[in-house]
Amino acid sequence: MTPVEAVVLAFVVGAALATALLRDVLASIIAFAAYSLGVAVVWLLLRAPDVGLTEAAVGAGVTTVLFLLTIAKTVRPASEDLFVDVDPTALGVSALLVAALGTTLSALPPVGSSSAPVATSRVTAYYLENAYHEAGVKNAVTAVLAAYRGFDTLGEAVVVFAGFVGLLVVLDRGVLA
Amino acid sequence: MSAVAAPDGDDPEESESQRQRERADRPYVESPIIMATVRIVAPFVFTLGAFVMFHGADSAGGGFQGGVIVGTVILMVAIAFGVEPTRDWLSASLLTTLVVVGVALFMGVGLTALAFGGAFLEYTAIPVHHASKYGIELVEVGIGIVVSGAVVGLFFGLASGHAGDDAEAES
Amino acid sequence: MIDVVLDRAYFVVAFLLLGIGAHMLIGDRNLVKKVIGMNVFQTGIFLFLIASAYVAGASAPLLTEPGPYVSPLPHVLILTAIVVGVSLTAVALGLIVRIYGEYGTLRADLVGEVDGGE
Repeated sequence: MTPVEAVVLAFVVGAALATALLRDVLASIIAFAAYSLGVAVVWLLLRAPDVGLTEAAVGAGVTTVLFLLTIAKTVRPASEDLFVDVDPTALGVSALLVAALGTTLSALPPVGSSSAPVATSRVTAYYLENAYHEAGVKNAVTAVLAAYRGFDTLGEAVVVFAGFVGLLVVLDRGVLA
Repeated sequence: MSAVAAPDGDDPEESESQRQRERADRPYVESPIIMATVRIVAPFVFTLGAFVMFHGADSAGGGFQGGVIVGTVILMVAIAFGVEPTRDWLSASLLTTLVVVGVALFMGVGLTALAFGGAFLEYTAIPVHHASKYGIELVEVGIGIVVSGAVVGLFFGLASGHAGDDAEAES
Repeated sequence: MIDVVLDRAYFVVAFLLLGIGAHMLIGDRNLVKKVIGMNVFQTGIFLFLIASAYVAGASAPLLTEPGPYVSPLPHVLILTAIVVGVSLTAVALGLIVRIYGEYGTLRADLVGEVDGGE
């Protein structure tokens, strides 16, 4: 755990708390954009540049714009208070969730250990050894995405397509007029 | 109607007038700084998106990342120059065609492999030099087209809102 | 004890994000903030999976760089999940726009009270 990692993680948790607690929806959306940017940096620290690129473009860019469009289309409730009133029941339930997840913590491998199950898995070793001469690409993520798990990715592309069609149906629009 | 408007803490007349004020403000007030910045930055971001999409084979990137970056260029232009003019400039049928073409390209690559006697998406069955690399590249481009088309489509879809509301507003 | 937590700080943060996301989903009355909460919850899951693939000192799974590499498989899963997540968010926001059009409110507790036939 380097100081950089500690600072970025603290920023992410802080931004998430701000997103949850700010009462003004616009402020909450802006905090969420900052949070997404922090998460994109976390992906870079965890050596996942592909995921970082996507998160930076999607989380901090597209999702934020979609949220802003929604409040422009609907309403942004005015309020004097800076923070929301915390609902004790919801707080209890989510604290319980965190506590239940926390009990599994000692059973998980330390982050970054080279003996962790994911790192020593046969699947991981196979992809890394064979990606170049089987798929012909040097980015193992692309090889797994488009070659080894091509069927899965086709499904994902169709889900994005279906999301587009679904939104048109929800908004009662035949085409994007 | 009072039950409807009260929840937001305003009385009905006030919230109604506020809404009308918002509608009146809707025509975008053009800011020369934002427009100039977008005009300069947009081609570079578009090139970056295309680079990320096509160069996914050997460096970080790929169809999903590149597609979203290309999509954000259109979002950027739409925010700077107004949603309506951008939508007219793009034409709705083009977007719908893009999304369909992307999925069709992906499936087409899979079916081509099938036609040459391989399994679905078995690139090496296609009798082309480096078939796997070109197959993956084509699939990535297909994904990029779907994702960029869908991102832009979702934006314009949400920006135009429910079809029924237009009819009410016009009548 | 403190070492156990420090070694797994990423998992702790992932659990906290899940908690914050769940709280927004359950506790916040504003529908838009519920969807934001869903996105936070989602990122918590992503962080858990990406952190489990991380190996200290390894490089990104680009074979042009010297090994060892981190596992590419969780990256692929999360990459696609992020993009699918934005479609999901957009459909949810489309539904919210419709709900506002029908009921005139974005507060979940009042949507139930406003009778459709009223």
